[in-house]
Amino acid sequence: MLNWTLALPEIVLGVSGLFILLGGVIPKKESFFPVSMAVIGALILAAVLVLGQGEGTAFLGQYVADNFSRFAKVLILLGAALGLLLALDFNEKAGLGRFEYPVLMLFATLGMMVMVSANDLMSLYIGLELLSLSLYVIAAFDRDNPRSAEAGLKYFVLGALASGLLLYGASLVYGFAGTTNFDRLADALSGDDVGTGVVVGLVFVLAGLAFKVSAVPFHMWTPDVYEGAPTPVTAFFATAPKVAAIALLMHVLIGPFGDLSAQWMQVIWVCSAGSMILGAFAAIGQRNIKRLMAYSSIGHVGYALMGLAVANDTGYRGVLVYMAIYVVMNLGTFAVLIAMRRRGRALEQVEDLAGLGKTDPAMALWMAVFMFSMAGIPPLAGFFGKLYVFLAAVQGGFWTLAVIGIVTSVIASYYYLRIVKVMYFDAAPDGALDARPASLTVVMASTGLLTLLFFLFPAALIGAAQVAVASLAG
Amino acid sequence: MYVGAIFFPLLGACLAGFFGRWLGDRASMWVTVACMALAAACGLGAFVEVALNGLPGVVPIVTFIDVGGFEVSWALRYDTLSVVMVAMVTFISTLIHIYSVGYMSHDATVPRFFAYLSLFTFMMLMLVTADNLVQLFFGWEGVGLASYLLIGYWYEKESANRAAMKAFIVNRVGDLFFMLGLALTFWTFQSVEFAAIFAGVEAARGVTFLGMPALEVIGVLLFLGACGKSAQLGLHTWLPDAMEGPTPVSALIHAATMVTAGVFLMARMSPVMEYAPLALAIVTVVGATTAFVAATIGCVQNDIKRVIAYSTMSQLGYMFFAAGVGVYQAAIFHLFTHAFFKALLFLGAGSVIHAMSDEQDIRRMGGIWRKIPITYAMMWIGSLALAGVPFFAGYYSKDMVLEVAYAAHSGVGSYAFLMGLLAAFLTAFYSWRLIILTFHGAPRADHHVMEHVHESPPVMLIPLLVLAAGAVVTGFLFYPLFVGAQQEPFWNGAIYTAAHNHVLHDAHEVPAWVPLAPTVVGLAGIALAYALYMFAPGIPGQLAARFDGLYRFLLNKWYFDELYDAIFVRPAQYLARAFWKTGDARLIDGVPNGAADLAVQAARGAVRIQTGRVANYAFAMIIGLVLFVSLLLYGAR
Amino acid sequence: MTQQMLAEYFPILVFLGIAAAIASAMVGGAMLVARQKPNPEKLSAYECGFEPFDDTRRRFDVRFYLVAILFIIFDLEVAFLFPWAVALGEIGWFGFLSMMGFLGVLTVGFVYEWRKGALDWE
Repeated sequence: MLNWTLALPEIVLGVSGLFILLGGVIPKKESFFPVSMAVIGALILAAVLVLGQGEGTAFLGQYVADNFSRFAKVLILLGAALGLLLALDFNEKAGLGRFEYPVLMLFATLGMMVMVSANDLMSLYIGLELLSLSLYVIAAFDRDNPRSAEAGLKYFVLGALASGLLLYGASLVYGFAGTTNFDRLADALSGDDVGTGVVVGLVFVLAGLAFKVSAVPFHMWTPDVYEGAPTPVTAFFATAPKVAAIALLMHVLIGPFGDLSAQWMQVIWVCSAGSMILGAFAAIGQRNIKRLMAYSSIGHVGYALMGLAVANDTGYRGVLVYMAIYVVMNLGTFAVLIAMRRRGRALEQVEDLAGLGKTDPAMALWMAVFMFSMAGIPPLAGFFGKLYVFLAAVQGGFWTLAVIGIVTSVIASYYYLRIVKVMYFDAAPDGALDARPASLTVVMASTGLLTLLFFLFPAALIGAAQVAVASLAG
Repeated sequence: MYVGAIFFPLLGACLAGFFGRWLGDRASMWVTVACMALAAACGLGAFVEVALNGLPGVVPIVTFIDVGGFEVSWALRYDTLSVVMVAMVTFISTLIHIYSVGYMSHDATVPRFFAYLSLFTFMMLMLVTADNLVQLFFGWEGVGLASYLLIGYWYEKESANRAAMKAFIVNRVGDLFFMLGLALTFWTFQSVEFAAIFAGVEAARGVTFLGMPALEVIGVLLFLGACGKSAQLGLHTWLPDAMEGPTPVSALIHAATMVTAGVFLMARMSPVMEYAPLALAIVTVVGATTAFVAATIGCVQNDIKRVIAYSTMSQLGYMFFAAGVGVYQAAIFHLFTHAFFKALLFLGAGSVIHAMSDEQDIRRMGGIWRKIPITYAMMWIGSLALAGVPFFAGYYSKDMVLEVAYAAHSGVGSYAFLMGLLAAFLTAFYSWRLIILTFHGAPRADHHVMEHVHESPPVMLIPLLVLAAGAVVTGFLFYPLFVGAQQEPFWNGAIYTAAHNHVLHDAHEVPAWVPLAPTVVGLAGIALAYALYMFAPGIPGQLAARFDGLYRFLLNKWYFDELYDAIFVRPAQYLARAFWKTGDARLIDGVPNGAADLAVQAARGAVRIQTGRVANYAFAMIIGLVLFVSLLLYGAR
Repeated sequence: MTQQMLAEYFPILVFLGIAAAIASAMVGGAMLVARQKPNPEKLSAYECGFEPFDDTRRRFDVRFYLVAILFIIFDLEVAFLFPWAVALGEIGWFGFLSMMGFLGVLTVGFVYEWRKGALDWE
């Protein structure tokens, strides 16, 4: 029952990662750009393979490939590829043009793919660690900058704690259920009376995963790391790993712990409400736009978790739709942030956007689109993301959660709209931004168009999410 | 044809309104006039077809609202009642349009004026051809809107703006009652379609609303609504102020549209009103009182248009008490004839004003009858008709109204008859006071004005001549049809007369002195006017000085405006200011501001947690973990 | 049962005994026979070339860490090899190829650190 062809995308990605690493390290001169291109190629190749992937379990039940993992993987690969594209120009200018960066992103992506395909607590952990280790390194990639080093260290310490919690939880679950395989766990936990140990173990596992999605109260690292890490790294942090972690969270909760939904729903409920509230309030006073985006991402995770808290197919579909839209919006926003550079110096303050409406109308327009979309203003994509989770919450009778969601999104729209206001109504302090490279324009325009025109063809995404959810529950 | 009569004015309004800038002034004028003329042709055709040949019909257009059990279609109801109105409105409006071509030729925004004028006409047509109360209400509100636009047409004038707002607001008061009546009608009949309402009247007689018969309440509410539009006592204050609009507008408001809407509503709802005797009694009393009060005020006013405005109000009172005693035919008949001579009077007055270089005060006129003989003659004809001098149009209709009041043989009927006679006397008096002061005596205007006094151009005079012909002949031509021997086949059921209602029949058998009385008092009024203003011009001044209190009381229009100002306007302003200061500034603004402050505080708190120390972060994670574990272990399972 | 299990550990006991005897013989012999000339440097505990008692917040060369980390990685690699070697007969070609893949990955890592100069002290 090896069925190793099911894991072909991961294998191909891993092997090409090794070769790219060799290709990068053996020549004497620095090869950031060609390696990046090779990594993007590998990511695209993996995406193609994912699309053609079969369904089933492999490696003696350790690994599963289905429509759900396919949906998540495509999203992850897309996010990773665009995230790398964002880094190309920035890293060169910031002196971070080392070939390890794309390679680490490749391995992080591989870790994420393993995560979403994990069908066993062991493979889950391996994927998670592969991702985490890569992220620890790239968080501190600008190692001569104390802030970046601090970000990497904080992330590492807290990440290690989260990993520990996860492992402890996994061992508790194993101890009380006698297996680590998801399918057998589901069987073992299907009885009416589940042990206290399993429940505690579940909470520990949840905590470990909630750390990765930066849900309250496991979010504390997020603002510091987002602010300290180089901007393209932040962009990457905020997109693909979030999708992977959310997907993994869904997979774990719905699969092996499906019969414990009464328990974990409460936990997710609290996480969701807390994240929405914190994301809405804490960002209000932020002047650093990366920090603001950190709180914004916490808030967005809260909305996504709302769909999970509902614990039905409509809710799960809402989560997937939300995450897909979230990734697109966030990539676009970060493309704008990365383009914020005046006379060679990267800028991070909200005030630095002042006057953008006049100096660079195109970029200001895209930024406005992303901000309006994040605030959930129709007919932009962000509105539909919120719509589907709110719909699920209301249908499921989660009125309190829905009301919290609506109130917090109103509050959150304040700081999104403030950015728009700064761009269009405040005077430019000192001249225009530097000309932006074509790669950023490509990302901005493509994600911007997707955000803007989503309402014309929502059926494609929603249909795909529907199919993915069907395979998850079945 | 049926559709055309209604929609040609709309077409004209759209063309002039939206494309007036490209069409230019002259083209806009003539395109609206052409549309109106077409509408008038259609209207007359419809009149022949429906009223004379007796072929009523309903032209469905589209379903308007369909919500639950509430369905409103949009249809044109063509029966004798509506077709009389359609023909009259389109015809008079066409003449007024033509007249306006001359009168407004020097105005800066001619297309706008004509667009409003046509829109006004369209709304009135919508009102009269309504197939249900909602559509009628649409027209009703549309007329209100158009009147607002037209009265405030010269929006640079402060007084015009005030008058427009006053007209609109006072009308809103009436509209509120209309809406209540509409709602109660739906509650009672489960429908707003006229056909369904009329069919359900018999069944609804026993229905009570808050302990009162529903039909009575509906009747009173609709009448109060009609009061607003038709300027009956209480809600009449807007009408004189509406003179701020251009004179053709006054003519249109007073003659054909707007003010007649209330009378029309009474006639349209006759099947309901017939079973609401109390409501009818109220209508009679209010109508009669209005007729008298307005006439007294008219005697002392000095603005040429205001005098005529009060005469309109007075004549509307006649129409209402005719309807009140249950003879809607007489009311509509008077409405019909009145349209002609009142339009004539207004347009004549407009011609005078035009000649006098926009002077409106009759104390500064006089001695001009030789210079503008045609206008003078027209004013004579109009006044003769208004005063009810035999064989002019007003004679037939006013006599009929007074006869039915007498023939009602009821307390309110007698009251109405008495008031009507007094008002007829006063009407004749102030009409000739107007003519004498305006045209005779020594000129009281300065040289410049007198030198420029000139007869109006033909485009203004021709409508006057047509209207004058109408003021002469419509009375005896239509008397048999409207209220005479042929009235039953003519109305063809459009106006309902209950089985117990014999007033119209009895009106033809009143004692001989009754039909004679109006003529006598009318002539007496004319004689008095001649005596006071022509032969002994000093007496009025002495009278005014002697009866100073009464004079002021009348001059100030029975202090209605002051009364309303004290009772409604000031308290409302005070209340509004209170709401603004405390309600809006404190509460409505305060709540969001307070919430925003709260959010900022919360943000500060959230940021304070973020210390930057890894240990604190880890501690938060552990706390969260403990929280969750205890939530699951000790929380609600 | 317990007896039998303990009996299996008897050779270890013997081994410990012999080891203890040899070790004490060597240390005792050295104390008895060798010439002793103590000084503070000699008497301090051996700590990889560092002061054994000092402020812990002291800077020292990062290369020590690098060596230590590399050592751990390859040490673990070898540690994995033992059970693999013992079970090779049972896990067959799949097991063999898996370990080859594992070693291949490690080799790439080794090449990387070599090329990066992590193995050069200076």
